[in-house]
Amino acid sequence: MAQHQVRYLQESGLPVVLTTADKILQWGRSNSLWALTYGLACCAIEMMASGASRYDFDRFGTIFRASPRQADLMIVAGTLTKKHAEFIRRLYDQMTEPKWVISMGSCANTGGMFNTYATVQGVDRIIPVDIYLPGCAPRPETLQYAVMMLQKQIRRESAFQKLKPKRLV
Amino acid sequence: METPRREYPNRLQPFFENLVFERDDNTMVINFGPQHPSAHGQLRLILELQGEQIVKAVPDIGYLHRGMEKMAENMIYNEFLPTTDRMDYIAAASNNYGFALAVEKLLDIEAPRRAQIIRTMLLEINRIISHLFWLATHALDVGAMSVFLFCFREREFAMDLMEDYCGARLTHSAVRIGGVPLDLPEGWLESLATFINKLPKDIEDYEGLLDENRIWKMRLEDVGVISPEEAQSWGCSGPTLRGSGIPWDIRKEEPYELYDELDFDVPVTDTCDSYGRYKLYMQEMRESVKILKQLIPMYKESDPQLMAHAPQYISAPKEDIMTQNYSLMQHFVLVTQGMRPPVGEVYVATESPKGELGFYINSQGDPYPYRLKLRAPSFWHTSILQKLLVGHYIADVVTIIGNLNIVFGEIDR
Amino acid sequence: MRRYQEKDNVQNRAYYNDRFWVAPQIPKESVEDDKVFSEDLESLKSKFEIKEAYIQRGQMVVYIDARDNKAVLTHLRDKLSYNFLSEMSAIDWLAKSNEFEIFYQMLSTSKRKRLRVKCFIKENEAIESVEDIYKSANWAEREMYDMMGVKVNNHPYLKRILMPDDWQGHPLRKTYPLHGDEAAQWYEVDKIFGKDYREIIGPENRDAAYVNERDTKHFARIKHEVKFGEKPSKEPTDLMDYQEEGGVFLIKKLKKDESITLKERR
Repeated sequence: MAQHQVRYLQESGLPVVLTTADKILQWGRSNSLWALTYGLACCAIEMMASGASRYDFDRFGTIFRASPRQADLMIVAGTLTKKHAEFIRRLYDQMTEPKWVISMGSCANTGGMFNTYATVQGVDRIIPVDIYLPGCAPRPETLQYAVMMLQKQIRRESAFQKLKPKRLV
Repeated sequence: METPRREYPNRLQPFFENLVFERDDNTMVINFGPQHPSAHGQLRLILELQGEQIVKAVPDIGYLHRGMEKMAENMIYNEFLPTTDRMDYIAAASNNYGFALAVEKLLDIEAPRRAQIIRTMLLEINRIISHLFWLATHALDVGAMSVFLFCFREREFAMDLMEDYCGARLTHSAVRIGGVPLDLPEGWLESLATFINKLPKDIEDYEGLLDENRIWKMRLEDVGVISPEEAQSWGCSGPTLRGSGIPWDIRKEEPYELYDELDFDVPVTDTCDSYGRYKLYMQEMRESVKILKQLIPMYKESDPQLMAHAPQYISAPKEDIMTQNYSLMQHFVLVTQGMRPPVGEVYVATESPKGELGFYINSQGDPYPYRLKLRAPSFWHTSILQKLLVGHYIADVVTIIGNLNIVFGEIDR
Repeated sequence: MRRYQEKDNVQNRAYYNDRFWVAPQIPKESVEDDKVFSEDLESLKSKFEIKEAYIQRGQMVVYIDARDNKAVLTHLRDKLSYNFLSEMSAIDWLAKSNEFEIFYQMLSTSKRKRLRVKCFIKENEAIESVEDIYKSANWAEREMYDMMGVKVNNHPYLKRILMPDDWQGHPLRKTYPLHGDEAAQWYEVDKIFGKDYREIIGPENRDAAYVNERDTKHFARIKHEVKFGEKPSKEPTDLMDYQEEGGVFLIKKLKKDESITLKERR
């Protein structure tokens, strides 16, 4: 994982007060998270299995969309290699706000068992990650647990965050 | 908890060169990028189109290259075994088995009878898992979405079996060099019998949905035709080769494990197109069921030794390690330093569900292999795309990629 | 004083080597023992210079001169019916004799035999492409060039295949470290953000055993989580529960005491 010099405590210590509008908006956003299919390696199979009939993903309101413009959740499932790193940054930038990232599996968290020259040691060197999900490969129930945690986290946030105008460059 | 945002400006310029109109000869260049819902992993195809027909196709791979061969030069043989799981991650035990067989050939040891039976059972279950996955994703890409859900439901039964045996659904590491570490749990054979009694009926259901389906036939017949000479020249193997009429199956021709004692057929067809290969996969699933039916009674009459007896290379069974002093010392040395095989090289090929999976090991007497080359069938099946896609329409690209059964863990290693 | 690192071979080596231990060799049987192989060898000997030939673990190994490789493979395919080139690659012997050893693994389906053809080339020499004999060599030679740096003549498209196009170095050489050299380790940061962001993002953590209980940016205590960078505390938190207390509007409430374990799968 990367060592950052970025301040993470954005709210400067003040408690976050949620209004009713916030609560309704975030309730809606959390229960209809559309996921971008970003299956790279073995964890993609478990992601597909969690979308299949036994561990259904549709009951969370999650549908797998192929286009980044239509998705607000990116589940990075699998090993990120240095050749691919550029493209994941592009796709992350193409996603529209608000967006969240789940890093699934040890390869996406920290490079995993592939401690080699061609693997990015953790996807959070490239994009900011909200939920880290350990496992190799994590079971489908674990992925759904992570999505539920993310839903809880979304409901806790405020709906109108400081948005800078988004440019690709 | 506030989510951290990192708004570094990055240097990635938007590029529009992935869509080019009005070239000199009126062709359009399209990038079928590394992230695509039907790319089966990370395949990047740069297609030049004339209208809707493909004029030139350049496959670009390497987006999942994790450096497994280099890892092998830095790890001892037993330590490398879980890494082979991640090559063909759909049928993980077949890669483990291929590697274990290659090292056993190097050391010239043979696994005991019960271990061979369990290994053959695992191989055939993995073949069923892999073919079901192939059918699910291929049908999903071509458009039959409900077949995806049905096949995954069957897969769940088989993955439950693997989980009961070795604890993992996807990355098994269930086979060790010299045998298997675990015996079958109680009730496993009964669950296996229930599964294989149920499976042929489900295969018939899928065939009923797809075999005579007009849309399926139109999309699959005469698409992706590989002539026998091309198949041999481009190094195809497995169902891709048998779909072109060449009856080469390593289980029959160079038998390993118990395949020379089992009675099964190898389906071969003459129509070199995708529809023929689809029929082959369905028939191979039935043959696997036949093999599993023969293996269940064989298990009951085998004596319970699970790992080969070669104290120089393989640790003793757990009971001996826990009670005897020298077994413990030998096990310690083998785990920390690694066993030292003889000097030489070996190439062993097994029939994985995708084709001919080969391992070339060159050892110089060290605990680490000097050179390990993994011969993955999907690498060669992807290289044939540059020849095969020319002349087809863009809708056939998805069919052909799905039909060739490629998995990127193998291609890029 | 630093520990002396060998530059020739930076891969992991066994830390203990017995001085008097001699490694056993896999027996090399003579080719006369097998009828099919001896006929093939005779046919090859009549036309080409064969440096050495033996049978090892059931497969024949033939050493030829590197300049003959195309002629030998054509002869194998046309006259001796070896119709598959299963695999080809190179082995790095630069430390020992400044050479690469190229091997071609052949398969004959009609005779059911496997044959390995090997040759040596020096580091700066190039080898002829066999792509017009077996098309499967197309990508295999590209991979050999990418990973080892072995140049191939008359190849239609000799470009890097597994590594990115602007990668420096040839990864599978013995002098290339497993974790990658400096260009490799900063590749993605340089490409996406630029060289100035190297200090901001920080180096990769290649130590798999790094554990620090006071570091709350990278490690968390289950059930006692704190925000990034604050001091670790012993207060219990409920961040790991599935749902908030009291449930969410219109969503099915998760009640732990009502969950059942199935005895048999449905």
